[in-house]
Parts: sequence; C-alpha cells; structure tokens
Amino acid sequence: MTQSRLPAVLVALVLLTSCAARRPDASEHDPWEGLNRKMFVFNDKLDVYALEPAATGWSKVAPLRVRTSISNFFSNLRFPIVTANDLLQGKVLAAGNDIGRFAVNTTVGVLGFFDPAAGWGLEQRDEDFGQTLGVWGVPSGPYLVVPLLGPSTVRDAAGQAVDVALAVTPWFVDTWILAAARMFDAVDERSLYLQEVRDAKASALDYYSFVRNAYLQRRNAQLKDSAVNVDNEEELYHPEIAP
Amino acid sequence: MMRRTALAVCLLALTSPALAGGDAPRAIVQEMTDRAIAVLGDQGLSSDDKRHRLEDIASAHTDFQTMSQLVLGRNWSQFSPQQQTDFVKEFKAHLSMTYGRNIQNYRNEKVVIVSDREEARGDWTVQTKILRGGGAQDILVDYRLRRQGDDWRVIDIVIERVSLVANFRSQLQEVVSQGGPTKVIELLREKNARGEPIAS
Repeated sequence: MTQSRLPAVLVALVLLTSCAARRPDASEHDPWEGLNRKMFVFNDKLDVYALEPAATGWSKVAPLRVRTSISNFFSNLRFPIVTANDLLQGKVLAAGNDIGRFAVNTTVGVLGFFDPAAGWGLEQRDEDFGQTLGVWGVPSGPYLVVPLLGPSTVRDAAGQAVDVALAVTPWFVDTWILAAARMFDAVDERSLYLQEVRDAKASALDYYSFVRNAYLQRRNAQLKDSAVNVDNEEELYHPEIAP
Repeated sequence: MMRRTALAVCLLALTSPALAGGDAPRAIVQEMTDRAIAVLGDQGLSSDDKRHRLEDIASAHTDFQTMSQLVLGRNWSQFSPQQQTDFVKEFKAHLSMTYGRNIQNYRNEKVVIVSDREEARGDWTVQTKILRGGGAQDILVDYRLRRQGDDWRVIDIVIERVSLVANFRSQLQEVVSQGGPTKVIELLREKNARGEPIAS
C-alpha cells in the first residue's frame, strides 16, 4: 500500500517544486547541494567498497560477451516500460519499433540475451516516465542524488517510481528473486564500465559536478530527441550572445 | 550518352558549391579519425610514441584557444593574457592526460561517420560512432568544428551526448567564482602533476 502511494506523492512533489521554482531545464539547479554531496559520497563509498569489487570479480569470471548478453537480457525486460512511455508520449511508431525489438530479441535473440533486432534496424531506445513528464512540460525541478540509485532530479525520481509500477515482471516474479536479479543486473552493468568510471574519477576536477553535469546534459539530450526545446545550446558556443 | 554526361555535369555544377562548404568538416574528421586509428593499431609503436603522435594529430585539428575560452565562458575576461596562456596550456595537457590513459585499451575498434550538419551560427557538427559490437555498446562521438580562414578546427567533443566544454565549464564554475583564475590554473597544474605516467 505504502509502495503504491509513493508515485503519487512524488508527482505531487514535482508539481509543487515546479511552481515554486520556474527555472529553465538547462541550468544546474541544485539548491540541495549540501545534502546531495553527502548522499553522493555515501553512494560512492558503497560503490568503492561493494559494487566495484563485486563487478571487478565478476568481470574476471565472466568474459565480456557473457556480461553483454546479460545486460541485453535485462534491458529486453524493460520493454513494457519503454513501450508504455512511448505511447504516453504519443510515439506510436517508436512503440512499434520496441514491440518489434522485443519480439525479435525474445525469439531469435534467445530470451533477449542477444540483440539481432539492432542489426535489422530496430535500434534500442530509451524511454522512461521521467522523460514522459518532460515531454508533457513538467520542468525537471532541483537536482537530486538518490540513495543507491544515484544522480536524478525531482522529476526523474518521480518518474522512476512510476516506471517501477509500469514494469510487468513484479506481477509474476517473487520479490526476493526480483531483488536478487536487480542486484545481479547492477553488478553486471557496473562491470561493463570499470575503466570508464576509473578514468572519470581520475580526470574530473570535481567529481560531483562532473557527474551532475553529465547526467543533466544526457537527460536534456534525450528530451531534445522528443523535440522538446530545453535550452539554447548556441549560448554555450557563443558566450557573447548569452543574456 | 552525351546528353546524360551534360546533365551530370550540370547537376555537379549546381550541387558543388554546397559540397565545397559542407564537405570540409566531414573530410577533416574522417582524416583525423583514420590517422588516429592507424596510430592506435600500429604494433611497432610504444604507448609513449602513440601518445605523442595522437597529440600531434589532435593539435593539427583542434582550436584549444577557442575551446578554453568556451570552457571559461564569461569568466575568460577575468584572466590576464598570461593567465589565459597558462590556462590553455594546462587544459591541453589535462586533455592529453585524460585521453592518453585510454591508449592501452584500444581493441581494434573502428570509427564511422554517421552524419553531419550545420549549426545555427555557422559551426559544423560531425557525428561519429565508435563501433564496439553494435547497439548500446557503440559510443557516439560528435565533433563540433568552427571555420578559421580556409580551415575548420574542432572546438568541442560531445561523447554520448555529453559536451566536454559544457562539462568542464560546470566543473570550473565554482572554482572560478571562489578562487579566481589563480585557483583554476593551480588546480589544473596539481591534477596534471598527479597524473599517472603511461606504462609503455
């Protein structure tokens, strides 16, 4: 019961904050930076002491091809979430693409472990309810570092809660198995980015703002794909025209 | 036959001005990535040799001055000419160190140019993809180029939709506002000095 109420509470929170602070999405609106930084350090410690060692160990046992296949398998299971959000954004053709992908990869791709659909022009797409809210015109609200889940915004965190409700798997898979699967998914996914994260930490001048900016840029780019006008990119390249 | 040739020539004449303008950035990125891949795949070179050659290729086609200016945005004018020179130098060294780390990780990946387009104020974006087995494994890398006389130079690299210029600007924003130009250059120097040397 409490769990099912969470999305509604978060959506309300988004609407509240978006009224309070009308800011363009592009800016790095981070009024909770103090708390966020603490949470960021907590997540990073968890990564350094638990997730990364587990992922490193896993990468020594399983070859890259196996780990990629497992990543494909879990991403294939996200199909109901992606498709539902396509439809909520009115992208009927994209929904067709995703249904086609699921059908091809579940059959020819052996339960989703392989991705033959990509080679047939059915590329993987990424949709979630955070993006759907963005398409509907809900501003991102303040930046938010969520325990365990990492960088987000108020809108995207609310979106994630809704996506949990949209996933079909919990209907017929036991909670404990689901929790174990999610952990396995996290370890496997992390094992694909061992070097990248190491590099990012070594080269970042401020790792917190590095991650925050990268997250917000990516989210903006995804919204831009949906023809949502999020920011004036030209200002970045022509400082003289900035207001 | 004659008529067809004439038609072809006419078509060519019609379209070539557009090609001459629009083809240059794409050709430059193509050449740059081809040369970089040749260096990376050369078994006879040590990591240090590779790094130096890659630096030369990057220097030939990148406008580090403009890139630095964009990274600092409106803060650029707070820097004295000497500080500007120092910043450009340290920033370049920082990039070289960051990307130099990846030299040993090269696994025969190929690069393809996906598309190119003109931006609103005359810059040109060339989209490339580093092929690593298809689908989500591939890496999207966009180069933004700006015309300089007869030449085009890279002013930003956008990896998986994340602009390097915007990312560094964000990281440095607070440093500039709290410690001024001196602090920024100090931070870069310190970071560069700590960078692990490449094992060859």
